Amino acid sequence: MGKIAIIAGREFNERVRKKSFIITTILMPIAFVAIMFIPALMMNISSDEKKEVVVVDQSGLVGNRLQDSSSLHYTLSDKTAEEVAAENNDIFGILIVGKDVATNPTNVQLLTYESSTINIENEIAGQISSIIESEKLKAYNIEDIDAILEAIETPVSLRVKQLGESGETKESSSVLNIALAYIFGFLIYMFVFLYGNMVMQGVIEEKSNKVMEVMVSSVKPFQLMMGKILGIASVAVTQFVIWVVFILVVGSAAMSIFGLNELVASAGSAAAMDPAAAAMMSSSMPAIDEEMVAIIKTVTDPAYLFRILGGFLVYFIGGYLLYAAMFAAVGSAVDNEKDTNNLQLPITLPLMVALFVMLSAMQDPNGPLAFWCSIIPFTSPIVMMVRLPYGVPGWELGLSIGLLVVTFVAIVYLAGKIYRVGVFMYGKKPTLAELIKWARYKY
Amino acid sequence: MDKLIRVENVTKQFAGHTALDDVSLEIPRGSVYGLLGPNGAGKTTLIRIINRITAPDKGRVWFDGHLLAPEDVPHIGYLPEERGLYKSMKVGEQALYFAQLKGLSKQEATRRLKEWFVKFGIESWWNKKVSELSKGMAQKVQFIVTVLHKPQLLIFDEPFSGFDPINANLLKQEILALRDQGATVIFSTHNMSSVEEVCDHITLINKSHNILSGSLRDIRRSHGGNIFEVDFRGEREPLVAALGKAPCTILDTSASDDEALENISAAHSLKIHIPKDEDIRDVVGIINATTSLRSFSEVIPSMNDIFIRAVAGEL
Repeated sequence: MGKIAIIAGREFNERVRKKSFIITTILMPIAFVAIMFIPALMMNISSDEKKEVVVVDQSGLVGNRLQDSSSLHYTLSDKTAEEVAAENNDIFGILIVGKDVATNPTNVQLLTYESSTINIENEIAGQISSIIESEKLKAYNIEDIDAILEAIETPVSLRVKQLGESGETKESSSVLNIALAYIFGFLIYMFVFLYGNMVMQGVIEEKSNKVMEVMVSSVKPFQLMMGKILGIASVAVTQFVIWVVFILVVGSAAMSIFGLNELVASAGSAAAMDPAAAAMMSSSMPAIDEEMVAIIKTVTDPAYLFRILGGFLVYFIGGYLLYAAMFAAVGSAVDNEKDTNNLQLPITLPLMVALFVMLSAMQDPNGPLAFWCSIIPFTSPIVMMVRLPYGVPGWELGLSIGLLVVTFVAIVYLAGKIYRVGVFMYGKKPTLAELIKWARYKY
Repeated sequence: MDKLIRVENVTKQFAGHTALDDVSLEIPRGSVYGLLGPNGAGKTTLIRIINRITAPDKGRVWFDGHLLAPEDVPHIGYLPEERGLYKSMKVGEQALYFAQLKGLSKQEATRRLKEWFVKFGIESWWNKKVSELSKGMAQKVQFIVTVLHKPQLLIFDEPFSGFDPINANLLKQEILALRDQGATVIFSTHNMSSVEEVCDHITLINKSHNILSGSLRDIRRSHGGNIFEVDFRGEREPLVAALGKAPCTILDTSASDDEALENISAAHSLKIHIPKDEDIRDVVGIINATTSLRSFSEVIPSMNDIFIRAVAGEL
């Protein structure tokens, strides 16, 4: 154990002192925010440009009542579709509304010059159907129909509370859950990949500059492998802790600047008050809606934070150890990085699967796919992180972590065997089958 | 003399070729043991087996009276032919790191390292990066790292490559000093003059076989061609004439050529071959009767000659 600590210490010191570590530690939060917000920003930018739709209305019912949306601009034309097509080619498309659209709602066509999207189609179809619906309502001759419609309009806002095992309820916010699920799931994926790769490169470096040969008389290859894996793990944990501290500092600074502390306090008291008073408060302070209250209450709940951050550490370390050992085995088997590609497949494949399952698990965190993938050790670190914000039964968590531990012990053992053979094997590029054979060598 | 290492009938095959074929040898404790052989003969494979980097397919290796076990490896210091240092680490830090891995405490390691750095005159390198060092410089550092924990067995693979004569000599002195302190040294090289200077015993491996083994002195003696060098005072011609009747042949008759005669010492020396079964005293008697003898000695072949002849299969 002492030697592993010495080796891990060197790995840690060497890497933490590097400029690249300092730079990524600073830049990564910025890059992460950029990755999340730039697509949203881009969507807004592109929607500034409205698409031209020329409407050829044969029914006389719809055309003059279509309203421009944020992305579409309608122009009513009294020409036929053929004529419009002949003279215009810088428009998005032609909407042809059939004469009998009120009785035959399928008689609407959209001819487009470029590919259309679901959003555009929903927008157009939605407008047309509400126009026809209100037209049909009029046929019933109800007095003050508009006033009645306005009076009955009731937008419902759900306050979601989850029933705990002991019967207490707690506030939960799906928006927050999805955001955290995404951030932490992706963070584990990224960490396992980046730091796993770092292990592999370190092993290749040691092998190609023959440090291994020097070390062999003082250290067992297994110690060298474990030292490297643990040293790099502590680099990753350090980086994560820096980020958490950074977020807490920036977050609390932002809170005090924008007076959000009061907001948290009022949110807390609002929940304690009777519903009527709470309703009054929220109407007097329209900025706080129910979702916001739920989010703030959730993120300031220590038990919730502990579950998420603790879960992250457990699954990050477990997942990292599992994959880093495999990365180390691959690194030991080759002479240079170019040869790693096909050997990496068994590593990257489950990671990719986990990433895809993570996306679907965000929609259905308790479905069978999400359940099984959060139990199977190769995908559980990522998929379980997605499920954690929603709450996971204790036995599932225990089973998942238990399996992860058993598997990583087994994989570390096997990887150690492959590593033992691999680091002293030069010249030829081994196949996967040979790697498996190495795991059975006796020394 | 007792043996630190005994290699018994070791065979090692790699895909397609045999690196070692039934090789046996014994390495006496406290000796400098030369492992010689052309490139690709199997020297490095043998070293790796002694180091437990690879296992032999057949045969056994004994260390200090018992079968070589993983616990013995810390008692071995190995300087591989290709140097292994982390390029981006500082010299001192790195040496300290390796020393700690060898079980020395930080203080003890620092003390010993400082000593060695002073001995080699490289104190100023402590904070340099390895990538700034030349090959020879890095090798000095590596040598220190190898011997620092005072292992029982030292294995040097081509230790002098990349060294200038002054540093090579320094290293040679240190190797001999380590031997005198009780270490056993295995020394793999193609540099035959260094073998003659430092080795007590050698083994010559060629094409995965041990073709020659024994103490350096015995080997050189036994491979002498019964050739003797005679130095004398006086005229050359009478001696040549007298030796014509003796049971021997003169090898360098060409020395009587005008060209060679310009060289005074050649004019006063002769190389003769005396067949094994003849009495050397008879020949010496004839020389003594003819001229005044200054010296008479057997010409012992250089390791270089023995090596080349052995590899060519002429022994």
